[in-house]
Amino acid sequence: MRLPEGDLVRSRVVSDPGAALSAALDRRLTGYAVFRPQDTLLLGGDRRAVLTFEGGVPVLAYDGATDRGGAEALGDLAVPGPYKVELYELSSDALSDAHDTPELRVSPEMPAEELAADSELAERTRVLAPDDREEQSQNDKSALEAFLDDEEKIAAIREQAREEAEQRAEEWGFDDALDR
Amino acid sequence: MVEAFAVASGKGGTGKTTSTLALGMALAADHDVTVIDADTGMANLLFHAGLDDVEVTLHDLLVEETGTRVDEAVYDRFGMSVVPCGTSLAAFEAADPGRLRDVVADLAADTDVVLLDSPAALGSKSAVLPVVLADRVVVVLQPTIPSLSDGLKVQEYAQSYGTETAGVLFNKVHDDERIDRVADQAERYFGGETLTTVPDSDVVRAARRAGEPLLAHAPDSVAAASYREAAAAIDVRDGDEDDVAARFRSAVVPETP
Repeated sequence: MRLPEGDLVRSRVVSDPGAALSAALDRRLTGYAVFRPQDTLLLGGDRRAVLTFEGGVPVLAYDGATDRGGAEALGDLAVPGPYKVELYELSSDALSDAHDTPELRVSPEMPAEELAADSELAERTRVLAPDDREEQSQNDKSALEAFLDDEEKIAAIREQAREEAEQRAEEWGFDDALDR
Repeated sequence: MVEAFAVASGKGGTGKTTSTLALGMALAADHDVTVIDADTGMANLLFHAGLDDVEVTLHDLLVEETGTRVDEAVYDRFGMSVVPCGTSLAAFEAADPGRLRDVVADLAADTDVVLLDSPAALGSKSAVLPVVLADRVVVVLQPTIPSLSDGLKVQEYAQSYGTETAGVLFNKVHDDERIDRVADQAERYFGGETLTTVPDSDVVRAARRAGEPLLAHAPDSVAAASYREAAAAIDVRDGDEDDVAARFRSAVVPETP
């Protein structure tokens, strides 16, 4: 997928992707967001995914590293850690070619629900979505399923949590519990 | 016999407290059940159990030298023994989370099942303590990526401290078809089976507003039936109460932060 370059309007490191989705919705962004997970270890290197918006409502997602689109692209990219998110404005016309790629599209509320786990944001997005977007959400594949499919990434998340738990056990004086 | 379970989620908003009380009521059909609000910083079990006007709570037991007896903070409600926690920030600050082990040890001497409603966080000693103390953990999940990844983290913490997974429970489920696939996938990573999937429903919110556990407010609802299914899937083990109490008392507990 190729997009013309837009105008950068916001660049933040966020612990929760919902903050970026909410910012895009609040400013009724027409353009795209670039998500870059900061924990490059979990994904084995630098990764980014693009999510486009029309009037603040998500339209399509694409992960260049896996060459997958739609909900699966967001699942491929999802990690527990912080993300750097840049929002770019781009005209509707410039987005229209890309938006004419059904296999990359996501339902309006899916990123808020599955990536951010924010049902209130999902509802606000649904309210703002044009009526003709609704049918599409019936056929969506799940970002969560794509996330759970990636055994290597899940193993890395578990390994990281285990190391953290053991390190903290020492800090917190739980050492004996480790040998229980 | 006694077995202690931590009901944990890693991420807030999964319906952990609703699940704790619902599992407690369902397990109470066959067992003596004691439910303890171990989420001492963000206590809300008292609101779910209609106990928001009681005077003595777990907080009083966690503050040194109040002279409060453990049984003063135990309330018989809905067929269970319920130990609520107060919501005062001052009481939270005065509380010594380490005393939780003695309270749990006392209560374990006289019950079959202890359910610890655990903090939805892993960032502090007091938040992790219930998972350290419990025999097994029940992980409450929502079918979202953050909830699953936090749930995996909780499980790794629990395993590191020798606490097994009793099972996972999917809550606030919207899509019945998809959840079966998600649950199958998740079972590969979680130590225990999927105990049940609970649909998102207004009746759960209504129960919370009424200050009643779901199984008392809407016993015939689909959600209530799901929790009974989950309870039936948990095979409560016959831990020796003296052993369990001794383990709680001897658990290495950090100093007050």
